[in-house]
Amino acid sequence: MDTKRIGLLVGCMMVLAGCAGSGGSIPVVDSGRPVSNEDMQSGAGIPTQTPAPAQQPEDSGVVVLVPDGEGGSSAIESYPLDSAPVSSQPSGSAPTSSGSGSGNLQDDEQLDGPVLALLTSARQQESSGDLNSASASLERALRIAPREPQVLYRLAQVRLDQGDAAQAEQLARRGLSYAAGRPALQAGLWGLVADARERQGDAEGAAQARQRAKVSL
Amino acid sequence: MGRKRGKRAARKVGFWRRWSGLLWKLALVGLVLLAALTIYLDAVVQEKFSGKRWAVPAKVFARPLELYAGQKLSRDDFITELSALGYRSVNSISQPGQMSAASGRVDVYTRGFQSFEGSEPAQRISVRFNGQQVSGLSGSGDLVMARLEPLMIGGIYPAHNEDRILVRLDQAPAYLVEALVAVEDREYFQHFGVSPKGIARAAYVNLVAGGVVQGGSTLTQQLVKNFYLNSDRSLIRKGTEAIMAVLLELHYSKEEILEAYLNEVFLGQDGRRAVHGFGLASQYYFAQPLHELELHQVALLVGMVKGPSLYNPRRQPERVKKRRDLVIQMLEEQGVITSEQAQAAIERPLDVTVRGSMADTSYPAFMDLIKRQLREDYKDEDLTSEGLRIFTSFDPLLQLKAEKAVETAFKRLGERAGSEMEAAMVVTGAQTGEVLALVGGRNPRFSGFNRALDAARPIGSLVKPAVFLTALEQPQRYSLITPVDDSPITLPAERGKTWSPQNYSRESHGLVPLHEALSRSYNQATVRLGVDIGVDKVLNTVERMGVRHRWPAYPAMLLGSGAMTPLQVTDMYQTLASGGFNTPLRAIRHVLTADGEQLRRYPFEIEQRFDSATIYLMQEGLSRVMAEGTGRSAYNQIPSSIRLAGKTGTTNDLRDSWFAGFSDDLLAVSWLGRDDNGQTRLTGATGALQVWSAFMAQAHPRSLSEVPPEGIVYAWVDRLTGEGSDPSCPDTVQAPFREGYQPLPGPGCRPLIDTEPVKEGAGRVMDVIRGWLQ
Repeated sequence: MDTKRIGLLVGCMMVLAGCAGSGGSIPVVDSGRPVSNEDMQSGAGIPTQTPAPAQQPEDSGVVVLVPDGEGGSSAIESYPLDSAPVSSQPSGSAPTSSGSGSGNLQDDEQLDGPVLALLTSARQQESSGDLNSASASLERALRIAPREPQVLYRLAQVRLDQGDAAQAEQLARRGLSYAAGRPALQAGLWGLVADARERQGDAEGAAQARQRAKVSL
Repeated sequence: MGRKRGKRAARKVGFWRRWSGLLWKLALVGLVLLAALTIYLDAVVQEKFSGKRWAVPAKVFARPLELYAGQKLSRDDFITELSALGYRSVNSISQPGQMSAASGRVDVYTRGFQSFEGSEPAQRISVRFNGQQVSGLSGSGDLVMARLEPLMIGGIYPAHNEDRILVRLDQAPAYLVEALVAVEDREYFQHFGVSPKGIARAAYVNLVAGGVVQGGSTLTQQLVKNFYLNSDRSLIRKGTEAIMAVLLELHYSKEEILEAYLNEVFLGQDGRRAVHGFGLASQYYFAQPLHELELHQVALLVGMVKGPSLYNPRRQPERVKKRRDLVIQMLEEQGVITSEQAQAAIERPLDVTVRGSMADTSYPAFMDLIKRQLREDYKDEDLTSEGLRIFTSFDPLLQLKAEKAVETAFKRLGERAGSEMEAAMVVTGAQTGEVLALVGGRNPRFSGFNRALDAARPIGSLVKPAVFLTALEQPQRYSLITPVDDSPITLPAERGKTWSPQNYSRESHGLVPLHEALSRSYNQATVRLGVDIGVDKVLNTVERMGVRHRWPAYPAMLLGSGAMTPLQVTDMYQTLASGGFNTPLRAIRHVLTADGEQLRRYPFEIEQRFDSATIYLMQEGLSRVMAEGTGRSAYNQIPSSIRLAGKTGTTNDLRDSWFAGFSDDLLAVSWLGRDDNGQTRLTGATGALQVWSAFMAQAHPRSLSEVPPEGIVYAWVDRLTGEGSDPSCPDTVQAPFREGYQPLPGPGCRPLIDTEPVKEGAGRVMDVIRGWLQ
């Protein structure tokens, strides 16, 4: 528990430092596009205007899903959402985009306690090479939040690692059907569709998906 | 005296000389034979004891109940689940298997279990409730979520139906070993397999009593008898038994033998299933794991060893109480327990559950489904002997509600139901495609014809969504408000006949919006629509929805003369409920070996068959069935704030009554009809919908999502004409359309604000545009 908290704190500090250093955006390898913290926040489905109770940051760690170029999943950051810098982009454009996305969200789409906990354990199981357990944890998360595209995104990634590209594509597409108004996630999901199609030998389809990934952003 | 003896001896010498040689030889032969037998028996003893000792049937479990803030779960349902799991009510929880319920809060000490994705610890948690929801969860540390161990709902038994749950000696509760030794074999820890003292005592007792009242068998001998030998009572068998008992003791420790005994002993008969071992007996009689048993429960089980049917606590409670108290007294006499402990234990009731909660017969319909799925992947032998643990999606709480709904509906129907009427119901997770509950007949305990899986009946109007979905897939031609013609139509049928479908009301309605034709289930409009887009296309849509059929492309298929089972209908509607993604229905989540190793997963698999936007329109249409169409009586039982989607189905001459519908989280299909296909005099709305509504009212479904997917726009339309309109006009509603196919907005009807300056501005803009055009 303590190490986890420390980890979160360190992660938080690294994000803060990273944002401060690189002008507020984390460079992400996929298509060489930068994904901002703003986009991540809208991706997390939590309105930016949430008041920030900075005194309890350890409770609000958020797994942010950012695809990397290999279709892998290493580029995931954990940070306490509420204490994350909201100022990484000039405010103005971001709240409207995230507002339109999260404003319509249903309760089950908020990424909160149990789903977050399961995504975290799936991550741990995955990094120890136990893809079956990771998959089971994600399916458990999906039963709790069946419309949460982030869960579908992660499950699609695991399926890809398990060598089931066809299911990876289907799961990513299902994620897309629930990701209206969340451009960063849409881009990530299209990226996954592209990877999955590539694995299935569908170069043309992959190219189309990559195009959509760019448009989504 | 010496001489006398000497003489006699001398006389006898000749005799002895003659015979002793022979006797010696005979003895030698006997010894050799005995040695050979011993060697043979030794091999038998070791072979069976060292390998896999028992064939353990696969155990089937329900889903583990998840607990987290926001979970849909009422306090009462939670207590129902805990009780089924054998949790005991106490004032203050102190060990696993206990609960303490207050109003709005339940404290529970969970038992923990090994699941596919890791182990769930035993822990104290406090669950707070707010109506139908868990409002909070607390425990040690930052407790975000927890799970109860899954309820065992059945097993896969081999032909001889011997069932057991293996336990280790260290899992035995306090006093079990002491009581067993005290009652069955006091010298157990001293003797070498057979007990001359015990035999002597038994012989004496039997002599005094003038019959066999006490056996001289040691625990070891009892084990040998049950484990290796048949139960005839010959002297030779007794001899063999004794030799084997000694051999067993020679090779194995007292503890190992005792552990085997705990697992072997026969402790009851549950229908065709034989209950073996204390592990299973504990579950069977107390619904608790063995190690949780208290003194009075332990004494009861030990007392039963003497004669499980004679001392069946469910049939002979008084006799069993006497026997149990006797065991307790013996423990007291031997100083194992104090007299206070003994007195306290004697004052306790038997505490036996009403019936075996995990009996094979509890959920026959669901178990039937599980067995069919398992037999596709496993050999019978593996299922009945390897002790596999099968984790399913079964939800006992929803099952209870489904069964009650059937019962309630039959009560309400009263006379109209008659004795011939049967029922079936399937409940699945609307998004996951997991089977959560299954009712195979009016009597859910009866395992026979599983109608949910095997009763293929014409589906009537349940097929109509396929017709309308096919139409909506052509947005350039059809939207929800496209007028369709509900007027008489005559089509050629086979062998020169003609077919003129009628509406249920025998009236035609002329031009009606497409959504109304669906929500009111107009037959003539549906047939015209289906013929327009092509019967073959509609039938192909049914296949894409997930049901393989070999229906001929006759127009009559548009009104559902094709047959499906309730499970197939569920598959078909699942695709509508989950946004156009077909999910093969699943009931098994994963399989673990007896040691807890991952054996097989049945992963969540989906395939997108329809565009999400089109499905969204379809869901809108089906929600109008509930709001204003043939399904609206559901809202007599369900709050109108819950958005639901569904469809009634009625077949010719009112033979089958169907309803299929879903919320955001639950999909349920119900059917009423007769096995002889006779008339029920029920429509889908008066029959199956009543079952469905009764179920949903108790299941507290989550309202259907109204968040449109990409590719859907809302436009203002006139409610009556369906033409594009403006929010300022009367009778104007917003309706969803496929993007790019929405009607153009109509002119406004009255100024909402002082619009002069705006109009002026607009005029200027129009001038500019005109300028461009010219």
